Amino acid sequence: MAEPYMIEPDVKFIKEIGVLGGEDLKKCYQCATCSVVCPISPDNHPFPRKEMIAASWGLKDRLVGNADIWLCHNCGDCSTYCPREAKPGDVLAACRAYAITDYAVPKKLGQMVNDPKKLWLLLAFPAVLFIVLGMVLKVFGIHWLNFSPTGDEIVHAKFFSTWLVDLIFIPAAIFAVTVFAIGVKRFLHDIHQNALMEGKTDKEKIDPVGFVKALGRVIPTILKHRKFSQCTENVERATPHMMVLFGFIGLFIVTNIFFVTLYVFQIHGPYSQLNPVKWLANVAGVALIIGALLMIKNRLDKPEQNTTYKDWSLIGLVLALGVSGMLAQMTRLAGAANLSYFVYFIHLVFVFCLFVYVPYSKLAHLVYRTLAMGYAEYSNRK
Amino acid sequence: MTENKEASGSGSILVVGGGISGLTAALEAAEVGYEVFLVETNPYLGGRVAQLNQYFPKLCPPSCGLEINFRRIKENPLIHTFTLAEVAKVEGGPGNYNVSIKLNPRYINENCTACSDCVEVCPAERSNEFNFGMDMSKAVYLPFEMAFPTQYVIDPVACQGVDCGKCVDVCKYDAIDLEMKEKTIDLQVGSIIWATGWTPYDATRMDKLGFGQYPNIVTNMMLERMASTNGPTVGAIQRPSDSKGPESVAFVQCAGSRDENHLTYCSYICCMASLKHATYIRERFPDTKIYIFYIDMRAPGQRYEKFYDKIKEDENVIFIKGKVAEVIENPDNNNVTVVAENAVTGEKVRQEVELVVLATGMQPTAALSKLPGDLKISEEGFMINDFDKGGMFAAGCANKPADVVSSNQNATGMALKAIQTLVNR
Repeated sequence: MAEPYMIEPDVKFIKEIGVLGGEDLKKCYQCATCSVVCPISPDNHPFPRKEMIAASWGLKDRLVGNADIWLCHNCGDCSTYCPREAKPGDVLAACRAYAITDYAVPKKLGQMVNDPKKLWLLLAFPAVLFIVLGMVLKVFGIHWLNFSPTGDEIVHAKFFSTWLVDLIFIPAAIFAVTVFAIGVKRFLHDIHQNALMEGKTDKEKIDPVGFVKALGRVIPTILKHRKFSQCTENVERATPHMMVLFGFIGLFIVTNIFFVTLYVFQIHGPYSQLNPVKWLANVAGVALIIGALLMIKNRLDKPEQNTTYKDWSLIGLVLALGVSGMLAQMTRLAGAANLSYFVYFIHLVFVFCLFVYVPYSKLAHLVYRTLAMGYAEYSNRK
Repeated sequence: MTENKEASGSGSILVVGGGISGLTAALEAAEVGYEVFLVETNPYLGGRVAQLNQYFPKLCPPSCGLEINFRRIKENPLIHTFTLAEVAKVEGGPGNYNVSIKLNPRYINENCTACSDCVEVCPAERSNEFNFGMDMSKAVYLPFEMAFPTQYVIDPVACQGVDCGKCVDVCKYDAIDLEMKEKTIDLQVGSIIWATGWTPYDATRMDKLGFGQYPNIVTNMMLERMASTNGPTVGAIQRPSDSKGPESVAFVQCAGSRDENHLTYCSYICCMASLKHATYIRERFPDTKIYIFYIDMRAPGQRYEKFYDKIKEDENVIFIKGKVAEVIENPDNNNVTVVAENAVTGEKVRQEVELVVLATGMQPTAALSKLPGDLKISEEGFMINDFDKGGMFAAGCANKPADVVSSNQNATGMALKAIQTLVNR
């Protein structure tokens, strides 16, 4: 046992965990059933029993910078077997939501992303930005935004020039990467300190090379959803999650190919439906849509599991991205020019949301969970 | 048998259940002059207490207290006892209840001297539920050696009936009637005490605890029977798989109790029962390691606390704060590894032991079967007393999980309540 120390309960933190879906936290009586029934919890300082008491006592520092909350995949076995119905799975999900907001700067934007009342503002911002920037550029004689594109073929770029799109998206991507970089630096420091304090690591310092190697070793685990498939309760979630993950990976590859072809080889879209890149794009898009729909179904089928705004907003965004992208293509092929341009505009708005809001949304787990799993591998957590 | 047809005013009391609470209530009321009908569904009186080896914390055998109670019943003409009897119908209100009692056939009459000639010739066997199925008895049997009434009984399911009839031929006292029929009697009583008691919670329902899957996982009540000299092992505590005396035992506290998925309440007695069981084991095996996995040890009151302190002095009794939530059997030696997180050290504990005892809790009878009459029953199956309405009262574990001392005190109080209903009408 560690040295005795005075705890400083953060009551506001306890309340926030409640708002974020952990409202049954205080029912916990520390029997530790959860730590035993959890199929992926390690033997050395297992979770989530210790997280339940830390949350209950408002020990924010023991949770926000604790890699264990990210090792949890929200199987729900703990919540099913919890004799108090304290829902440890939901409490850890709430801790993760809190941690994401805590590590993302500026805080204000993080609060907005998690506030349903601010949703319209977040959606309106990119819409206005596109139009205003396009108009302003027109004043300077740069016509990257054309409200009445002509020509036989519908080409989205005639409406929104790819230059205009990328003028916005490249800084947006850089913004997201920067926000993550700031968060990740602090996150890695915190989880290492926490692991040292709780005796969960055999490493004194994080050696960058060793850590990156460990990250490499967990990538197959993540891609194959090995942790997910150890769940017994929510094991059916693995398939939709895999579809969405691979959908995103597919679309990421497509976007990069498109980007390189455009700027290096000066070949403009749209591609023929026979082009293998197009095949990949379509398969990935369909995977995204079906994956998101299955996620919605799974959540609706499990009313005993708490689903909060952070969950719905992410699934909603995934679905919106998939559907708007697919519709933009279908209306284009159908020759409905105006409709197609409009849907394309909507699609761009959602893509902007994906880029800029990701460090503040639940999707940030793709960074934090990966790092936490990498750290657990690196520190030989068993 | 007397059938009291008197109108309300003086009246009599019906006590449902002949366990320790029912016996106490019946005796307390009868010994101050009230007529009592005592109805018991088993063929014997004494209930769960009759199955115990020792009481905590004094570690004296319940047989001695039961014997005294049985003698008091025998000597008191105001108590009318019906075994193998169930309340079929309750009508009316406080001071004036019409009750129908169904009497199941015993197939053996009062002529029986318990000579056991019938047992010797009986070819049929049955699983002995008094010992939780750990042994067999003949279809004609005495529930246990000091069963009261001291009369044999025939299990109609196991018995081969008149076609066999060997017992009838051998009985010198003309005590066996294989064609005995079920009867119903009607009673008029002024008040009713429900002392319907409890049943050990069905341990097979905890799918993570392996009861019924692995032979060396038993319940606390099974251990109680093993420790009893009139039990299936004649007092030996042993592993069911190989009858070996265990060198290590794990107790799993709150097995089904304090659990929203099972019994939502604390069963009150299991912590003390496991501490008592530690003494049974220590008495037989001086070096056996005893691991008690608990959420909170509950030893209420000064005397129980002292008992707990005494057990803690034994360095081979190890207390681990953490609920067992997984068991793994080693198929080679039938040992069982119990898994828990030690919430004090934060380490997962995997303890291999030779015997696992599940400290299962008590489920009230009303949770398992529908009782007749206008009773207020909680979600968990406990009867809620309505003292304003009066007339019917729940005593002992029908009302709340309780130990024997509290049950007796409570039953005495309910006897007074029942008398008040009679007097005030």
